[in-house]
Amino acid sequence: MRNQLKFRSIFLVILCVFLLVTGFQQLYAQNAKKNKVRLKAQYVKIMDGEIAINIKATSKIKKKNIKVANLEITVYNELEDEKIKLGTTTTNIKGESKFVIKNTNAIKADSTNTYTIKISFKGNDSYKKASKSISFKDAVIKAKLITKDSLNYISATLIDKSTDSVIVDEGLAVQVQRLFSPLIIGKAFNTTDKNGTILVPIEKGIPGVNGNLIIEVVLDDSDNYGTVKALVNAPIGTPIIDESTFNKRTMWSPRNKTPLFILIFTNILIIGIWGILLYLITNLFKISKSKI
Amino acid sequence: MKNYDTLIKDLAPKKFGKRGVIWIIFLIAIIIAGIIAYIDQIIKGQVVTNMRDYALWGIYISNFVFFVATSFVGSVTVAILRLTNNTWRTPLVRIAEIISVAAIIMAGITIMIDMARPDRILNLFIHARLQSPITWDVIIIPTYIVISLLLLYFPLLPDFAILKKYFKEEKPSLSKRYGFLSLNWTGSKAQKILQEKSVKIIAIMIIPVGILLQTIDAWLFSTTYRVGWDSTNFAPYFISGAFVAGVGALVTVIYIVRKIKKLEYYITDSHFDKMGKLLVLACLIYLYFNINEYLIPAFTAKKGEAVHLDTLFTGHYATLFWLVTIGGLVVPIVVLLFKKGRKPLPMFFIGLIVVIGSWWKRYVIVTPTLLHPFLPIQGVPESWRHYFPSLHEWLITIATLAMALLIITLLVRYLPVIPIQRTADEQELLKTDKNTKS
Amino acid sequence: MEDKNNSRRKFLGKGLKLGLVTAIGGIGLTKLATNLNAKNNNHSEDKMELMTTDGTLIQVDSSEVIEMNHSQDHDKKHNVREGFPNRKFVMVVDLAKCKNALKCQSACNKHHYVTGDNAWVKVYKMQESKDTAPYWMPTTCQHCDKPACVTVCPVDATFKRKDGLVLIDNERCIGCRFCMAACPYSTRVFNWSEPKQGETSEITMEMDMEHHDHGASDPEHAGVPSIKGTVDKCDFCPHSIQNNELPHCVTACPNGVFYFGDKYEDTVTNGEETVRLSKLLTDKAGYRLLEGLGTEPSVYYLPPTDRLVDFEDGLKHYTEFQSVEKPE
Repeated sequence: MRNQLKFRSIFLVILCVFLLVTGFQQLYAQNAKKNKVRLKAQYVKIMDGEIAINIKATSKIKKKNIKVANLEITVYNELEDEKIKLGTTTTNIKGESKFVIKNTNAIKADSTNTYTIKISFKGNDSYKKASKSISFKDAVIKAKLITKDSLNYISATLIDKSTDSVIVDEGLAVQVQRLFSPLIIGKAFNTTDKNGTILVPIEKGIPGVNGNLIIEVVLDDSDNYGTVKALVNAPIGTPIIDESTFNKRTMWSPRNKTPLFILIFTNILIIGIWGILLYLITNLFKISKSKI
Repeated sequence: MKNYDTLIKDLAPKKFGKRGVIWIIFLIAIIIAGIIAYIDQIIKGQVVTNMRDYALWGIYISNFVFFVATSFVGSVTVAILRLTNNTWRTPLVRIAEIISVAAIIMAGITIMIDMARPDRILNLFIHARLQSPITWDVIIIPTYIVISLLLLYFPLLPDFAILKKYFKEEKPSLSKRYGFLSLNWTGSKAQKILQEKSVKIIAIMIIPVGILLQTIDAWLFSTTYRVGWDSTNFAPYFISGAFVAGVGALVTVIYIVRKIKKLEYYITDSHFDKMGKLLVLACLIYLYFNINEYLIPAFTAKKGEAVHLDTLFTGHYATLFWLVTIGGLVVPIVVLLFKKGRKPLPMFFIGLIVVIGSWWKRYVIVTPTLLHPFLPIQGVPESWRHYFPSLHEWLITIATLAMALLIITLLVRYLPVIPIQRTADEQELLKTDKNTKS
Repeated sequence: MEDKNNSRRKFLGKGLKLGLVTAIGGIGLTKLATNLNAKNNNHSEDKMELMTTDGTLIQVDSSEVIEMNHSQDHDKKHNVREGFPNRKFVMVVDLAKCKNALKCQSACNKHHYVTGDNAWVKVYKMQESKDTAPYWMPTTCQHCDKPACVTVCPVDATFKRKDGLVLIDNERCIGCRFCMAACPYSTRVFNWSEPKQGETSEITMEMDMEHHDHGASDPEHAGVPSIKGTVDKCDFCPHSIQNNELPHCVTACPNGVFYFGDKYEDTVTNGEETVRLSKLLTDKAGYRLLEGLGTEPSVYYLPPTDRLVDFEDGLKHYTEFQSVEKPE
């Protein structure tokens, strides 16, 4: 009797351990691979253009920050009592995505005239769910090119659309659009005066295609208004002159642009010599055919 | 004075003796080994060589330059000697033409071995850029091959006709082949006029083409910025080098052919004496260019030049440099300045030394320059700072040399090595001269 | 009688318990087995050899490799032999900042799948004479305006574009190596054997070049793939420029040594600072390598003056006989 009891209890213990281990493994298997995702959202508005929410997804795996690709992100417009789904987007191989909203009319602000956008990721086998909210008020930049005494200036005014009042003491950057990164004109920050305006002189001699420059006036990543960008077409640049030798006949051009000297000289030599060689070969035939 | 029939009997091609057969088998064995090595190179890529990113050209290229240089002998012996009315050249011209043909054909083959993508060889014609020195090479080499073949062929016509008659009874099929090649040569006036005119044209044309060939070969190197190659001296340096290599090869081959075919009557000591003088002249000119090329830069000793000359005079390549310069150039000059040195046997050894020296000279031209570029050699394995050819490269290179010798051997076997008709004509002239005199 | 009943009951009881245990145990075991099997199965199915970010080769099951859209715009708006319109690309290397960190070299090796023994960007330990100071000098292809390599190519395999780049068509190259002999900067490397780029490259390359023939190379994405018996070199990353991104060496440098940009726009950037090229060259006395040869390179150097770093700091990374890290 006692032996049986011992036997049974040992058996039961082994069984319990077994079940626990397998069960634990299942649980562990599910949670083992899931990592935390950090979502970043940046609101960028281009005057008379689109609004974009720039989304970045990163994760810290083995102490390294890696970009997370292929995450499905849902974008919502959050109000006090409701959550409107604006759409979904998927992060690309660099873990980034740009979600475009046509203009401010497509989204609603709450009672304090603040827009709130929430981006969320519902989680998948590898990553836990995550979300991020950003809030901003609608600001507007009115920028134009002014020429005074044959000097060029950019004049820009920063206005809070909700209160229709100018924004004072805020820093705006003025820069020229370039291929990789814009070139800043003047100081990094030009603070708006009491009228919410800035006046920045543009130096002469900035090159542009056909003399055209696209100048950006940017309120960069402000706490209240996000990023607002106004573009000004300024045909005040120095026109770009093509310096390349691509269309010229040079020693390094492709065969269709061989320098004339080489073309003519070598062809004369080749035709001359091979002409004579052909004549000699015909002489062989003549010898063969001559009968006497 | 031998009579006509004995003349033909002496000069007509004869079958291979035992030595000949062994020689041929030996050459074919080497060639087969080379072909196997080449197939391995095609499969694995040129990694089987010891060329790497710095020593990017090796003995394939220096071997190629050697062949191009040796092919100059046709221009020299046949054309230049003809235009300077050196009648003693007659028994030598056929062999010279044969060496020329063999060398230039092998040059064409050797350069293809150096291409890492021989499957794309047609690109050289379809997409050719005339601005590139390689394109000039691609044009001039086939041109020279054709000219050399024509220079060999035209004077052979009367000889083929003679051989057709000679072999008619004993070897009718061979006779027929010679007959076909003789292009119905009957020695008629019209044919003679055509032939003589043609030979004259070729002889004149081959000189500028030959010079152009050597020049373009030199420009492969001197159109780069590299120290040791970027020299205004290079083209004439190569032309005179070709003169030396060509005549050296001629002397060596003639000695052997003369001995085996027992042609002492036709190729006399006097011929060797004259060839010796020609070789000395060539070596002296080449020595002059060597001095200009190697001694003068030491005067200003610009940094790049100083490093290069240092490598050659006292550094890694010193032994080789002095061997090819003193052994391959100065010693021949000294020996050949004496009449005793211009006797056949010493001439043979000198010829051999000159040829071997020529081959290694081109190695000294190609490799050291590549191993001191403008920017220091860093970030690559230590072995990349040196170059010595691998087994594959040696097998393939020796196979190309064997192939050249095979072509020469076969041509010497089947062609009359001394122009029969011309020799007959000249001796008849001498006979009539004697007759009129007496 | 009772004993018999008892023993029967005991027997049944034991039997039931045993059966229960077996059932549960069996389920547990099978679950365990499938878990293990799942891991093993993946190993025996489509396994692929991939290269990790630090250059080691690992085995990964193909189901875990996801198809990605690498670059958005594959519709080339320009002719490959002509290049980006209205551009002339230049690079500026600030020698005062170079510490020989070699991040440029590893980034370039990784993104171009350089697996030979010679990297495309090399950082030279330079010292002109024994009295002048040593410094680290990163060199890439100089994309010369009078390229010696292009001049000597017999088959038009390497070409100079209108936007300044000198690129290679690896499908045309015949492997004569004349371009390598002509280049005074020793910047070209040769594929002496079949490049050991592994399956990795084939997969990621397929993703990189969705619209290109698999296996065919593209002059605008050099090294993808590398072809045996042809030449390779730095291409100034036109595949990155296409996406308005800087070349990989520029972004990888932790010290901001490389500036890159369009000379026509007179602007260069190292990712952090964006400056006017003309001003940078004037203020810091820019020059070019081997100017006297007349190659007109597109890479400018700023002399190592007012150095931010000590030369000696770079010695610990200096590998005199290696420039490409080999996978284990």
